[in-house]
Amino acid sequence: MTRSAARGVKIHDLEHSYDEDPVLHGVSLDVATGESLALLGPSGCGKTTLLRLIAGLERPSSGSITIGDDLVAGDTWVPPDRRRVGMVFQDWALFPHLSVAKNVAYGITKSSTRDAEVAAALEMMDLAELADRMPATLSGGQQQRVALARALAPRPGVLLLDEPFSNLDTSLRIEVRTEVHRLLADLGITSIFVTHDQDEAFIVGDRVAVMRQGEIVQTDSPQVLYHHPVDQWTAEFVGTVSVLQGEASSGTARCSLGSVAVDPQLDGSVDVVVRPEQLSIAAGGDGEVQSIEYYGHDSMIFVTLGNDQLRVRCGPSTNFVRGDQVHVTFNSDRALAFKSE
Amino acid sequence: MTQTRAPRELRVFGLICSLAFAFPGLYLIWRNFTSGADPLGLLLANETLEPFWRTVRLAVLVSLSAAGLGTALAWCTTRTDLPFRRLWRVLLPIPLVFPTFIGAAAFIRTLNPGGLANDMFGSIGINETPELRGLFGAWFVLTLFCYPYVYLPVAARLRQLPGSFEQSALILGDSAPQAFRRIVLRQISGSLTAGTLLVFLYTISDFGAVQLMRYDTLTRAIESNYLARPPMAFALSLILLIFAGLVVLAERSVSRRLPEVKSRRASQPMTYMLGRWKAAATALVGATLVFAVLAPTAALVDWAADGLLRTQRGGRPLTIDPSKVIEAATNTLSSSVVTGFVAIMAVTPIAFLVGRYRDRIGRMTHSVVIATFAVPGILIALSLRFWTIRSGFFGDLLYDSMALLIFAYVVRFASLAMGTALVAVKTVPDGLHDAASTLGADRWRRFRSVDLPVMRPGLLAAGGLVILSTMKELPISLIVAPIGFPTLTTRIFGSFEDAFVAEAGIMAVVLVCLSALLSWFLVLRRADHL
Repeated sequence: MTRSAARGVKIHDLEHSYDEDPVLHGVSLDVATGESLALLGPSGCGKTTLLRLIAGLERPSSGSITIGDDLVAGDTWVPPDRRRVGMVFQDWALFPHLSVAKNVAYGITKSSTRDAEVAAALEMMDLAELADRMPATLSGGQQQRVALARALAPRPGVLLLDEPFSNLDTSLRIEVRTEVHRLLADLGITSIFVTHDQDEAFIVGDRVAVMRQGEIVQTDSPQVLYHHPVDQWTAEFVGTVSVLQGEASSGTARCSLGSVAVDPQLDGSVDVVVRPEQLSIAAGGDGEVQSIEYYGHDSMIFVTLGNDQLRVRCGPSTNFVRGDQVHVTFNSDRALAFKSE
Repeated sequence: MTQTRAPRELRVFGLICSLAFAFPGLYLIWRNFTSGADPLGLLLANETLEPFWRTVRLAVLVSLSAAGLGTALAWCTTRTDLPFRRLWRVLLPIPLVFPTFIGAAAFIRTLNPGGLANDMFGSIGINETPELRGLFGAWFVLTLFCYPYVYLPVAARLRQLPGSFEQSALILGDSAPQAFRRIVLRQISGSLTAGTLLVFLYTISDFGAVQLMRYDTLTRAIESNYLARPPMAFALSLILLIFAGLVVLAERSVSRRLPEVKSRRASQPMTYMLGRWKAAATALVGATLVFAVLAPTAALVDWAADGLLRTQRGGRPLTIDPSKVIEAATNTLSSSVVTGFVAIMAVTPIAFLVGRYRDRIGRMTHSVVIATFAVPGILIALSLRFWTIRSGFFGDLLYDSMALLIFAYVVRFASLAMGTALVAVKTVPDGLHDAASTLGADRWRRFRSVDLPVMRPGLLAAGGLVILSTMKELPISLIVAPIGFPTLTTRIFGSFEDAFVAEAGIMAVVLVCLSALLSWFLVLRRADHL
């Protein structure tokens, strides 16, 4: 399959409400051509609505959406069937009365090349043998691939994916998301996909936009997001943390871990936020092991230290048991800290 | 969830439909006050009240017996170790294929001299053959041919009901009858009342069976008055209309208070051992089938054979004119297929308005169509007949026309298709539309390539229900059908009213066979869509 003519997406100050109930407040977003962007947020944050607005399945109350060079919502309105965006739905929405091949052919309007393009799309998704099967006879993973093939077959400039992996069981999900990640990168297509799963967002997204209550809180690469979240909520949402009460002045905060380096601009009571891998543990000390979760490749030890609950990431061969007295140290350059509320 | 507003053309169509469907009922009410007579005086006259009480008496009796019989049969065939219960389950719905008046006709014919039963009684030395007529005759025939309205929904509900409820009750110390009363009856109450309502409405609107049984209910009184004393017929109609409306409202308010039950597939069905009751249960099922299936079938076959084999039996030869049978059968088929088609065309847009767009006009139209379900056919027939007689322009246009007949049938039976069509519209998930949109399909292509194919089985089943009922319809066919347009039902009925028609028996067999075939192909085979 040839490369799609990828197009970027620009969203400016988008507002939307359902029956007077506002779901999006002034959302702005800029997705570069060929980029893969993950929309990450808890359920009900408006991420699916944003995706549907881009597709044209909903009409925004105000604001504008530009796909490539075309304004599609704002002073004008382009209906979904003329936007040339592809979409993969959460339940895949395969047409139950059409075979796999006919599903894939649905969006291809040029009849002269249709057969060849359908064959190419099926080939690309490794579906050639299933061409004549009906959707109801396929497994979840196969249906997912058909949905992708169908969305990609008309060569959209943008591909939208709504929780594309959530209907698959765990082992299949991990396999499929690796596959999809590779495919999107190979095709160089602009893609925006919605997920509530941080792992998924980090793996597939070149950048991740974190959404909360109808607003975009932060848009950054996974690395920046993980290490420099804009607030405590985001820090907790994109990874496991321990939160400690602390007192900051001139670049250090005193907390149950002792003195740790923090943002020098902070002053007064703060919440010190540390990732489990920023801590290390040794026998003998003020902390007490509450419980241990063993994951195989590593383990997590829950430690009570003063009034704080700490989570410490350890290697796969720790031998601590519940009730052990331990000493926990902070082993990173600087800790995240946010002003207490 | 995407499109919130319905297209304007669809809403206009809905509005026109609600007016059209409401028209016959409204016209009847209006004529009561403009026919020049004293409506209140007529309403309270003995002449009107007596048929009314007879209608009430018959409807109550038939509803009670059909509810009891239908529930008992459903329970025996789904919840016990009754022998051959799979066979019974196939056979027990069969009485629905007999129009009640043909069932009544078959019984009367077979008990009369020359009939099969009469001969059989004679051969064992009984010369005084029992007569079937009046309240008992009407009750007997209507119960036999209406119990499936209760049996079918109750059996379906029982099959869904997990056995674990009753098993819990039994483990907690209930006896089987206690468990039935405290658990099962509560859980089937919705299906039971809905089915019983159908029986009740059917009984009060039935014309053919009561006419043949000479039992003077409202419908019979209306029919006998409508030519000679129109104001009287209007008053009787108004009573029937109000009564039907009140019954439906009462059922609504009762069933709203019934416990909402989620339908689930039974994982572990409950099977009671009948033990010494096995013989009694088998006798109940057997007797039902003998009287409701075997006897009318034998009587009809004998009746048809009588026309064909009269000479061999030593009687006066009768000329059988096959073209008469073919004409009536063709008329019946063509008018009912057209009715089914028009009903689907009328009902599908309304289902879209309600199911897809949640439109206000759609909801109103939907209620109007559903309400026509309670309007007996004879009232629709009467109303349209008088309207076309009196109205100048429309009268000239529609009087004695096929269009009027089809319109009357559609108003009578479209409500049967409404529910199924609504389910069909709702079986198309919003997601499919969204997917088609993002793949470049405009509204018309979405309708053609997604909605229509996904809804097709449901819509066909809905049309099938309408066709089936139209084929069996009597009073509208009698009163509204154009002169020179005999249908199977009017011919068969006519053979009892007027001179003996040699072809009537054959026509009855043809009608029952057609109805059985269509039931199988259009309705039962697709029962999962109902």
